Amino acid sequence: MKTVDIARRAVRGLRNAKARTILTSLAIAVGAFTITVSLAAGEGARQYADKLIGSNVNPSALFIVKDKSIFEGGGRQAGLQVYDQNIGTTSTGLTLKQMTQADVDILKARDDIENVVPTYAPTVRYMQFGDNDKKFTGQLAAYDPTILSEAAFGSLPVMGKDIDDTQAVVPESFATVLVDQKVIKSPQELVGKTITMTAVSSKSLASGEQLAQAYATGGQAAVEALTVPETKEFTFMVSALTKKSATALASTSAIQIPASEARAISEYTTLGTDGYQKYVGATALVKDGNDPAAVKDKLLQKEFYAQTAEDLQGVVFAVVNTLQGIVLGFGIVALIASVFGIINTQYISVLERTREIGLMKALGMRGKSVSRLFQFEAAWIGFLGGIIGTIIAVAAGLALNPWLTEKLGIGEGNYILIFQPIPIIIMIVALMLIAMLAGWFPARKAAKLDPIEALRTE
Amino acid sequence: MVIEVSSLTKTYGKKNSAFKALDDVSFTVPDGASVAIVGKSGSGKSTLMHAMSGLDRPEAGQVIIDGVDILKLKNKAVDRFRSEKIGFIFQAFFVQANETSFDNVALPLEISNVSAKERKQRVDEALKTVGLDDKTKQKARNLSGGQKQRLAIARAIVNKPSIIFADEPTGNLDSATGEIIEDLLFGLNKTGGSTLIIVTHDADLASKCDIQVYIKDGKIDRIDNNVTTQPFASPTEEGAEL
Repeated sequence: MKTVDIARRAVRGLRNAKARTILTSLAIAVGAFTITVSLAAGEGARQYADKLIGSNVNPSALFIVKDKSIFEGGGRQAGLQVYDQNIGTTSTGLTLKQMTQADVDILKARDDIENVVPTYAPTVRYMQFGDNDKKFTGQLAAYDPTILSEAAFGSLPVMGKDIDDTQAVVPESFATVLVDQKVIKSPQELVGKTITMTAVSSKSLASGEQLAQAYATGGQAAVEALTVPETKEFTFMVSALTKKSATALASTSAIQIPASEARAISEYTTLGTDGYQKYVGATALVKDGNDPAAVKDKLLQKEFYAQTAEDLQGVVFAVVNTLQGIVLGFGIVALIASVFGIINTQYISVLERTREIGLMKALGMRGKSVSRLFQFEAAWIGFLGGIIGTIIAVAAGLALNPWLTEKLGIGEGNYILIFQPIPIIIMIVALMLIAMLAGWFPARKAAKLDPIEALRTE
Repeated sequence: MVIEVSSLTKTYGKKNSAFKALDDVSFTVPDGASVAIVGKSGSGKSTLMHAMSGLDRPEAGQVIIDGVDILKLKNKAVDRFRSEKIGFIFQAFFVQANETSFDNVALPLEISNVSAKERKQRVDEALKTVGLDDKTKQKARNLSGGQKQRLAIARAIVNKPSIIFADEPTGNLDSATGEIIEDLLFGLNKTGGSTLIIVTHDADLASKCDIQVYIKDGKIDRIDNNVTTQPFASPTEEGAEL
């Protein structure tokens, strides 16, 4: 019997048991739906991450640290440890091996990287905008020329170029606060205004001995003079307001100042403490003609741990892949359940159609053809289930995408569910094969049926 | 096509409880004859039919059709032999109620790999022969009992078989309808040249055949040959609605 005729008869067989066919295929549709959504979400997340990293990070950028645990999911919890002056404890209680100025100098001396900038952690007591007396606090960061920002007002240098020594870049959200506090009337007014930052030196903290001496020599006034902390003002001109962008990774919650000034502030505030000239890490650019991965390997030999832009992508993708795998797992569990559904349905079908099978065999149909008839029926059930699941998933996905985009705040035009035809087609074909496999047991029973027994009328 | 049955023996069960359904059965059917295998229920007449059509394999004996012992053929060859040389008609019709008349009749042609185009032509022809050409697209479940049996006959003849086996073809029909079916079968036998083998316990139907083989307890009781005495009606063209 020709395959096409068997396939046609299989379709007719299913049509004659519509309710059963649809119910069985709905079980598969649940699995198909879950798998389609997980594939779409994975693809959407990957494309979004790709876009995010591709448009924000210079592919030749490296992030270099001395403590590889930073790349392995955070630092060690601070337990009792042998003292090492290069090990610092972060504000979140993590202990990290920090990078020293000597390390930075080693990096700066290398000929395969340039623009080595340690991650300064500048902090100031307060800042004032323009001539207004109101004091504010906010996070500071060194301007990272390897990361792209978008300017809402004013102008930013092109990617890879640093801002001028006296310039500062302020997040748009900060300007909004200033408007609320009546410092300025509109955000764009901030561009061109000055920011005066007041940093406090650590060494101003006088020791008890000094206090006693001051009291002895100058009385109360001398002590007060001594306990007034030594401060220094750093002044910048706001050159741009950064836009809050869905696809920009830039630290939009910090005022960005030039690296040299960030260094000056952090050194001024940490001078005389353990934190002086200690950094979590450094950023650098791989010089033209060098492969970032190769440079990373060379750094490893010198006990520097580096992460390339590609690694960063890998980290994001690993998270996406894990989440996708979990959802995919649910889909596969649903499919396994539906496989038993198919086996059951097809067994019932064989029992119900004993006479039909007997007749076909009496008329000379080969057992192999009978078997294929039932396997094709199972395959059609798989196909139907796949199509139903996919259609529901795509329809629901396309309908929900705008809402999801808004909820997740990933920026207009970016969708988290991206349906691609090829994985869906592969999935449907796989479903058909799985269904055929499930249909194998009942099909074998049908093929082995004795026509004389099957046709006995008594 | 001459059929030679010789020393056919079929036993059911093991040693002590062994039961011989067929015991050394031998006879010859001349080409184009109509034969009635007559016997009571349990006499072994159905087993004989199954053996002659290659559905069953007796442990001893031969069924030589057209010079070939079909009992010695491999399964695949027997299936092929059935699909090309044999037509079956059953007491309970065994038409597929959910399928159209056309698809019911097309089944044997699909099994023997006849092209779709030729299938259409031959199915239409067969349906016309049995007077169901106006029911081509009808589902078989909407047909009456007589029409279903005519549909089964169309399915049996569509492959132009050499031998048609009919197992109690009128058993489920009233006598008037049964008679129309009988006329149709005998007409096809005379005009189509295919050998007709009817398994029945109906003496009236048996008497209309050229040869009657009486089976009793698995053995041949007697064989009557009334070729010269029995006149046949010519095929009915009325195609009466049953």
